[in-house]
Amino acid sequence: MFRIRFHGRGGQGMKAASRILGNAFFIEDYEVQDAPRYGAERRGAPIFAYVRAGREPINERGIIRHPDLVIVADDSLVPVPGAGVMSGVDARTVILINSEESPQVWKQRLNFEGHVFTLPVETADRAELRFIGATCVGAAARLLGVIKRESLAEAIRQELADLGSDMVEINLSKALAAFDSMQAEEGRVTPAVTESAADYRPPDWIDLEFEDARASAPAIHAGATSVEVRTGLWRTLRPVIDHDRCNRCWWVCSTFCPDGAITVDSEGRPQIDYDHCKGCMICVAQCPPHAISAVSEQDAQAEEAEVAST
Amino acid sequence: MSRTLLTGNGAAAWGARLAGVDYIPAFPITPQTEIIETIAKWIDTDEMNARMVTLESEHSMITAAGAAAATGVRVFTATSSQGLLYGMEMLYSVAGWRAPFVLVNVSRGLSSPLTLEPDHNDILAARDSGCLQIHCSTCQEVFDSMLIAYRLAEDERVRLPVIVNLDGFYLSFTREPVEVPDQKAVRDYVGSYDPETTLFRASAPSSQGVAVLGGGPYSYFRYELHLAARNALRVYDQVAEEFGRHFGREHAAVEAYRVDDADIAFVMMGSFATKARAAVDRLRDAGLRVGLVRPRLLRPFPEAHIKRLLKGKRGVAVIDQNLSMGLGGVLHSEVASALYGQDGAPAMLLSFVAGLGGRDIADEEFFEMVAVTQRAIEKGEAPPPRLLYTQAELREVRKLQAIAHVEYEELNRASSANEGDRQ
Amino acid sequence: MSKTQTKQAPVSEAKVTVYRRMKDLPSTHLLGSGTAMCAGCGGLEALHEVYDVIGAKSIFVNAAGCMTLLSVYPFTPFRGSWLYTAMASAPAGAQGVRDALDILKQKKLMSAEEDMEVVVLTGDGSAYGMGLSSTSGAMERGLDFLYLCYDNEGYGNTGQQYSGATPHAARTATSKGEHGFAGYKKDLFSIWTAHKPAYVATVIGTEPLDLARKIEKAKSLKGPRLIIAMAPCPTGWNFDPQHTVEVGRLAVRTGIWPLKEYVDGNVVHTKVPHERVPVEEYLKLQGRFRHLFEPQRDETMLAEIQARADAYWDGVTQ
Repeated sequence: MFRIRFHGRGGQGMKAASRILGNAFFIEDYEVQDAPRYGAERRGAPIFAYVRAGREPINERGIIRHPDLVIVADDSLVPVPGAGVMSGVDARTVILINSEESPQVWKQRLNFEGHVFTLPVETADRAELRFIGATCVGAAARLLGVIKRESLAEAIRQELADLGSDMVEINLSKALAAFDSMQAEEGRVTPAVTESAADYRPPDWIDLEFEDARASAPAIHAGATSVEVRTGLWRTLRPVIDHDRCNRCWWVCSTFCPDGAITVDSEGRPQIDYDHCKGCMICVAQCPPHAISAVSEQDAQAEEAEVAST
Repeated sequence: MSRTLLTGNGAAAWGARLAGVDYIPAFPITPQTEIIETIAKWIDTDEMNARMVTLESEHSMITAAGAAAATGVRVFTATSSQGLLYGMEMLYSVAGWRAPFVLVNVSRGLSSPLTLEPDHNDILAARDSGCLQIHCSTCQEVFDSMLIAYRLAEDERVRLPVIVNLDGFYLSFTREPVEVPDQKAVRDYVGSYDPETTLFRASAPSSQGVAVLGGGPYSYFRYELHLAARNALRVYDQVAEEFGRHFGREHAAVEAYRVDDADIAFVMMGSFATKARAAVDRLRDAGLRVGLVRPRLLRPFPEAHIKRLLKGKRGVAVIDQNLSMGLGGVLHSEVASALYGQDGAPAMLLSFVAGLGGRDIADEEFFEMVAVTQRAIEKGEAPPPRLLYTQAELREVRKLQAIAHVEYEELNRASSANEGDRQ
Repeated sequence: MSKTQTKQAPVSEAKVTVYRRMKDLPSTHLLGSGTAMCAGCGGLEALHEVYDVIGAKSIFVNAAGCMTLLSVYPFTPFRGSWLYTAMASAPAGAQGVRDALDILKQKKLMSAEEDMEVVVLTGDGSAYGMGLSSTSGAMERGLDFLYLCYDNEGYGNTGQQYSGATPHAARTATSKGEHGFAGYKKDLFSIWTAHKPAYVATVIGTEPLDLARKIEKAKSLKGPRLIIAMAPCPTGWNFDPQHTVEVGRLAVRTGIWPLKEYVDGNVVHTKVPHERVPVEEYLKLQGRFRHLFEPQRDETMLAEIQARADAYWDGVTQ
């Protein structure tokens, strides 16, 4: 059985991608299980989806602990602990990352011996984000080596028919181009051997003790603890203030920022809290003197890294 | 202390009054209304220093009850039947808040068909809510259970809502002599409500009833609620024992009547258990060693008491005033699960369903249940569960069906087809 | 349509408010960041503006909706308190808390300094539907509370199915057909004002000064005070999150979302768009109305929506 995990952000089409792959396997007469997994977070937050496919009926259920193939739609998720991109990955896992960095760089960065493939998809343009899923699934289908090109195309038509023929065509061209680009790597993914019931590590079960209601009721005994959640990790675009251009208006940016991530210092200068800015870009759209611009988060981070190293 | 005639509803109201309740969110429903009418009158005449608010539904009523308890006042509320079910979502929620208060449920059968008369399907629907349950069999017990319930609910080892259950009509509207202690004696026993740190104050922000993500935290909070409910077994024994010292009346978690030397025991809850008690005496007069085991606590389930009391009995007849559709009596299956695999467990555990929608249980029916149990012991085989229902009752239904233009021919065809199935 | 009396806000009021101009709006914010709301959430934008005015001496009693997930253990953005109830009964939860606080003060078990403003927070799904009976009950009992509905015109938390607040023709997850939602947005403002509560107002986060003044006024009054905040929703309405403010502004400038308040039996329009922008300017920014423009313009529907907006304003005497 193949076990495939998709990692992306809400809004990047990971659910659709997993369903396309599920359809494609199904067309190839596989038994299939596909499902998205959401948390509380919304658009922009890390989510994952998974697909299982095998020749026998599938009894496994729930999250995939040891994936054969991990697909990462957004490389900024890799270092995010909550995203769990590397969870259960071992040397035989194949990793497919949408990234401008080379596979070699990722292998070093992750200290990973196995196969890494990259797909350079433009993420700075939000309009392109919609097609990340199609590109990923096209490449993944080829890496799996058991899905024919026409099966992939049919799977996409089935899944995206509701979006209209234009959208189907664009997604098809993206997916098939990615499929073709992986020709040399066909069949890289191999299914893992299932765990043995004779030789396993027993779970470290405990007996839960009673604790009184002060501890054991679902209550939070302090204010504003949410600031510990780094929603800045959701961001793919970063608003950057040109303080020379900022005219110290009535803090339009700060008032309109839904997340309260822009504060104004004593001199009237707005400061963006990048730990929490989700990258909605309302401030960019609303700044009266156009003093805030949107830059790619990846570029901004690369620049920061460069500054830090010099 | 004075001895006076009170209905079960009146006893519940007196319990709330003397327990020093601050707040009563209410909503009227038969047969509970006398409770809130009585309290409303006392508040109007300044005999009771509390605030009563009529909400627009039981769902809202239970929400307000939990919210007020979480803010730090002593809360009482009451409902019945459809009302309990309408508020069911909130019963589970407020238990999860760990908000202690007392709710009286006046048991009444559930729709459909709608009825006003009692059985226990309403209260048993709340069985898994996290609210504890005390089932009463007399008006005195209703009053006493109110006081015990506040001690139990508010104990720091528990901190859960407690439902005191009394049967509609047979307790709610039935007057019996009730010993009502004076205010000071009750205050000495019940004490004042200490909400500890789980309350809302401007100086101490808190967020309560928050969502969780994932099975790990969810399992923790839910299992802790379960452990708190399990603690209530020990806490109940303590506060009931203390109650006995204060007021001289014993209310064990499970009442045992002439059980020690009995061969056969009835197991049943609620007001009709006093009828079982009377039947036990008559059966003893006839030379049969019969006893009664009556759980007062249903949640937490006092399985240790039940195991101990039923150990070595030759047969047990569980009488359920409820029906889990497609299974049968709820108490029967709970008792069975307590006894399964136990050393000395009774060989025969019979199930009888009786008293649905207020249907009476006649003396001879109690006697017959013992006879059936004896035969089962002799044969070594338990009969299938039985609904106590007579030929005369079916005849009455047939008359009603005739008026309702039920086609007899079709009816007969249907029943002969059933006969065929059986053969 | 009956004529709604509209009066200009009394001149004296301008002196009372601390929010005379934009610069009076807070430049630091009370509501903690790090919530799970979508990027660009118009509801969160309104809430953080509201919270700055209400302050942390408050307890928010929340109904099921998107904002259920403001507090996910162990994280809360509130500096004051919060209680999550259920979809139908947040106003009843407010009743319990308010009554308990009053009892504690009356019995001298709590000092007045420990008291808090009780605020119900619900989405339109609860406010327009399941929670309406509970809201009506709280108003009829004269409960002293604030009520804030963030109205994103659909059951947003479950993926934007239509609700009683969904406007005519909008495509939602349960009205994907050719013509979108067949029903019409319920007039919750009028349902509320029929109860004659102390205060009712409509606001929007994209008009922060109007919002701040209304919350300030609501805070100064006693009794039931209810606010509907239109909440442009990038996810449910299908527009890029950066356009939240633009969409909201156009809702006001096209007259789709009238900013008004009810106090002392009168309805006052606080911002009258004299040169109303055609409604299609508002509609065409949103994916949920794209079918009115593509593949060809649905002139009939556009005219109908325009006519409804016009009829509303024709009924407003100024």
